[in-house]
Amino acid sequence: MLKKERLVVIGNGMAGARFVEELVARGGAEMYDIVMFGEEPHGNYNRILLSSVLAGCHKPEDTLINELSWYEEQGIKLYSGVKAGWIDRMGASVYAAGGISESYDKLVIATGSTPFLPPIGNMYDEDGFMRDGVFSFRTLEDCQAMIDHAASARRVVVVGGGLLGLEAARGLLERGLEVHIAHLGDYLMNSQLDAPAGAMLKQTLEGLGLNIHLDKLAESITPPFAGAPVGGLKFKDGEELECDMIVVAAGVRPNIDLAKQSGLHVQHGIVVQDDLSCRNDRNVYAIGECAQHRGKLFGLVAPLWEQARILAEQLSGENPEASFRGVRVSTKLKVLGVDLAVMGDKDLQTDEDEQVHYSEPARGVYKKLIIRNGRLAGAILLGDGLTTPGVLQAFDRSELLPDNRASLLFPGTGGAAQIDVADLPETAQVCNCNGVTKGRIIQACQDGNGTLEAVCKATRAGTGCGACKPQVKAIVTFEANQAASQAATVISVIGGKKVAFPAIADEAPARTPENVAVGRS
Amino acid sequence: MVSTPFQHDTATHCPYCAFQCGMRLSGPRESVVVDGDEAFPVNKGALCIKGWTSAAPLAHPERLLNPLVRNAAGDLVPATWDEALARVAEAFKSIRTDYGADAVGIFGGGSLTNEKSYLLGKFARVALGTANIDYNGRFCMSSAAAAGIRALGIDRGMPFPLEDIASAEVVLLAGSNVAETMPPIMQYFEAQRANGGVLVVSDPRRTATAAAADLHLRLTPGTDAVLANGLLHLLIRDDLIDHDYIQERTEGFERVRQIAATYWPERVERITGIPEAELLQTARLLGRANTAMILTGRGAEQQAQGVTNVLSFINLALALGKVGRPNSGFGCLTGQGNGQGGREHGQKADQLPGYRLIADPAARQHVAAVWDFPEEELPGPGKSAYELLDSLGPEGGIRSLLVLGSNVVVSAPHGNNIRERLESLDFLVVSDFFLSETALLADVVLPSAQWAEEEGTITNLEGRVIRRRRAFAPPEGVLTDLELLEQLAARLGRERWFTYASPEAVFDELRAASAGGAADYSGITYEKIEAGQGVFWPCPSVDHPGTPRLFAESFPTPSGRARFHPVLHRSPAEEPDEDFPLYLTTGRVLAQYQSGTQTRRIGELEDMASEPLAEINPTTAERYGLADGDMLTLETRRGAARVRALVTENIRPDTVFAPFHWPNEQSANLLTNPALDPTSRMPEFKVCAVRIVKD
Repeated sequence: MLKKERLVVIGNGMAGARFVEELVARGGAEMYDIVMFGEEPHGNYNRILLSSVLAGCHKPEDTLINELSWYEEQGIKLYSGVKAGWIDRMGASVYAAGGISESYDKLVIATGSTPFLPPIGNMYDEDGFMRDGVFSFRTLEDCQAMIDHAASARRVVVVGGGLLGLEAARGLLERGLEVHIAHLGDYLMNSQLDAPAGAMLKQTLEGLGLNIHLDKLAESITPPFAGAPVGGLKFKDGEELECDMIVVAAGVRPNIDLAKQSGLHVQHGIVVQDDLSCRNDRNVYAIGECAQHRGKLFGLVAPLWEQARILAEQLSGENPEASFRGVRVSTKLKVLGVDLAVMGDKDLQTDEDEQVHYSEPARGVYKKLIIRNGRLAGAILLGDGLTTPGVLQAFDRSELLPDNRASLLFPGTGGAAQIDVADLPETAQVCNCNGVTKGRIIQACQDGNGTLEAVCKATRAGTGCGACKPQVKAIVTFEANQAASQAATVISVIGGKKVAFPAIADEAPARTPENVAVGRS
Repeated sequence: MVSTPFQHDTATHCPYCAFQCGMRLSGPRESVVVDGDEAFPVNKGALCIKGWTSAAPLAHPERLLNPLVRNAAGDLVPATWDEALARVAEAFKSIRTDYGADAVGIFGGGSLTNEKSYLLGKFARVALGTANIDYNGRFCMSSAAAAGIRALGIDRGMPFPLEDIASAEVVLLAGSNVAETMPPIMQYFEAQRANGGVLVVSDPRRTATAAAADLHLRLTPGTDAVLANGLLHLLIRDDLIDHDYIQERTEGFERVRQIAATYWPERVERITGIPEAELLQTARLLGRANTAMILTGRGAEQQAQGVTNVLSFINLALALGKVGRPNSGFGCLTGQGNGQGGREHGQKADQLPGYRLIADPAARQHVAAVWDFPEEELPGPGKSAYELLDSLGPEGGIRSLLVLGSNVVVSAPHGNNIRERLESLDFLVVSDFFLSETALLADVVLPSAQWAEEEGTITNLEGRVIRRRRAFAPPEGVLTDLELLEQLAARLGRERWFTYASPEAVFDELRAASAGGAADYSGITYEKIEAGQGVFWPCPSVDHPGTPRLFAESFPTPSGRARFHPVLHRSPAEEPDEDFPLYLTTGRVLAQYQSGTQTRRIGELEDMASEPLAEINPTTAERYGLADGDMLTLETRRGAARVRALVTENIRPDTVFAPFHWPNEQSANLLTNPALDPTSRMPEFKVCAVRIVKD
């Protein structure tokens, strides 16, 4: 048997752990001795669900993907709660505090990112730690700390009106706090939305009870008032918001220091090629938020998992040629009560680009498509969740769009409307099980079958699943009425729909919506 | 065997689907009057058009009334039974001598009675000594079967009677179009809804069933497990799972719960194409209901991940705490007439009667003792259906094949390959009552009796064993399949093991062979079936009343607990790309049945569905310049089929649906992908990549 290679993975988050899972699923545990470093002190959890945990929708334990026992069962050596300190590429080893050293044949760096903390005065205490009552929102620990603090807090300012900030704000609103969002841009989510969509989103969020302040550059945290850890947040424009909790959600920065120190090629992120290996070391790979591919950083889970899968295919030998060509990026705002999906470009990029949009401020609906070469280059969909899946799939697959663009923005339900049997042509099939047309039912009536039972027996209509019996009955009744009256036809409105039917003699059964306007199955 | 005399007003069951409607036949064979049997508690008198017209093939002018043998000129010409059977026996013997016993294969069917399925399995192992027997039920129920055994310890499609549906507050029907495939079942869903119940259907198409539902989840083909995992995620999140039940009656939930953490709604929406709001609505309906059922059909099962798809829905039912509770639980809706019984008694490559595994030494000893045959001479497991067909010919090593009750040229995937394989055989013998597309390729064709001409038992989709009764003796020159197997065995020198006084005698031996197995029929007798409108298996002794409802106390697993299985979905084996940009999904229409051998010969049915109509969304039709009714060609990497366009909103824009009942250039199975499920060996009929070529 071949000697196993040694594979070291730095990072046990959304990218690193997913990669190892994908690798193990492809027999990777038989090919490699796998060693992992995870800075957070537990197994792997789904970071995506943290906003849901903050909002109290998800229990923290329900976000766990792999408990510590899983690593053991797979024969993976996990340094949980241990930060990798140094990569010695000459010696092909990773070192960490406490005398840990692990040699590798292949190294995967998946160090993710950390919150960007803008320079706000008074944010740190005398020892350099972030002041009590001030939080960033990245880890399960951050989330737990926020929940604990929120229990006794009254008023919070969330710095940052991007995806994460809005999700944090919504979560804290659920916990009963008065929530203010201070956003630097002149409209919310300015990197994903255009101005009108941002304005409409603001309106929607205000409707939920959030207080939103635009064009706000946080300057400093103001000193505590009676007993509270923080007193408020002062802005560059001089305005000040009193609060007892501050959440900073101003974006993230990739963790690249370790790679930089070890001499790997680094720009904004660790520069990787299509096979996800580093520019200047083919035995070292980088995936996830810390990796820079064709000049781009990725912060969303779909591309991270795509990278994880591709690298696993490659290193397991399943597909040694597997390569990452970038992905089309889309996201949804995970805020209860708001349907917002964004993907690709938010504005026209070339003269040939085509824009289709629809706006209905009263209902908070805004839909916009950017179309390039007949395919979707980007979209914003606010306030209409039912439209989202179709547009999202068209974007993901880069489908050629229908000439009638509106069909994408207003997809038909595919459902048959309520059909009035009176309107059906005689060739229409009423009983699907037995292929009985309206004409045959009418014929049976005219042949002297006066009851539903007799008509069913004569035509076999309704003798299969029975679902058409109401329609058969309606036709039988209609025919009876026809026979009962030779009077003039009158027009009436039933169920909001104009139908023609003959005037009925007094003793004839009344036409009701039940026996006339029945759904066709 | 003695033939029973002509009987007037015979109570029997429809020859087609697993619903097995009770019907009464009267009048002469040439003009049989069919009536729904109101006394039978399953269909309660209802029949669909296929049932009403089911007697037409009995006296059909194209019916085979004598054996056919291929002559030196290559033509099929009439022959006597003696000539035909001699030829078959000679061919089998010489192939066995030259290439070994496994070089003779058998392909059976899910429409055969229990007695025939059982005897065919015994014939393979005892008369031919071949390991290679499998049947078309592999294309039907194998994924549900494998999942049921793994998770619940037993494979009985529905572990409760149909009547329970009417009292379920919520039913999720995953990938099943019963309004067309077994229309009389709809009375139970109608009753359920009349009782205030809610019906949710997941299907890429807005089928007649989906249209009758309260909520239609229009999922992307091949994403069933994502839907199930996504619903589980929401149930966990909103704490709508049954912790006590999970604790007391199941094992393995922890890992499943962790995997569910990776199926959050936004991700599930993106993959399945089902709006988040509908996912949440479905989860809440299921989670808040006191009684809820999840039922799967071929849509979820006929995929290369069919087993895990079904497991993911079982996970859901278990997490809800509904399996084994009144008017609740998990079930799969069996397709073919005897799809249930046909998979229990040794017609499958890896099985012996009573749902025993042929690789299990104890099972072998038990069955060998019942058969009075040396255990060491019983072969081991053979090849599964598609693999068996793919091994036909000199290369694969199976040089001769007996086909009974199946038309594989039309019904198996990758039809071009199947035809080539069949043509490469040294010898093919087909038993059927029409000259099917498969029979046309045979060296010998044996005319068989039809359903109304034979006695036996069928096990319906509920696990209820019922009686098929003879209304007419077979026409002169036609044998029942049981008689055929007896006579052929005698010519192979195995008469001692194949001499029965009646079909009931075959059944009595089946009872003994199944005794102690998972599908225990030992306590079921013809008399008991007749006295009680059927008996539900397992029924381990004659004084046992049968078992309509399973799992009330425990599960037939080693621990007595149901088992959760972690399911990570995979992409279909073939996904749309630039060359083949659309999904193709296949299925059935109401007025035709399976390969259409019978139904395409019935005028009334042909009037309703005379050719395959490919369902295409208006948006897609517009792109290809197609109007409703236009002819077009569908092409995949495996073949092409000519169909007519049915332009309809009922299909997703990214998907084309084609029914598979037609042969030759109209055959949808020329297109389908034979990628197999790793466990059940089920081919991926329900999803592959296709392109439209306009005329």
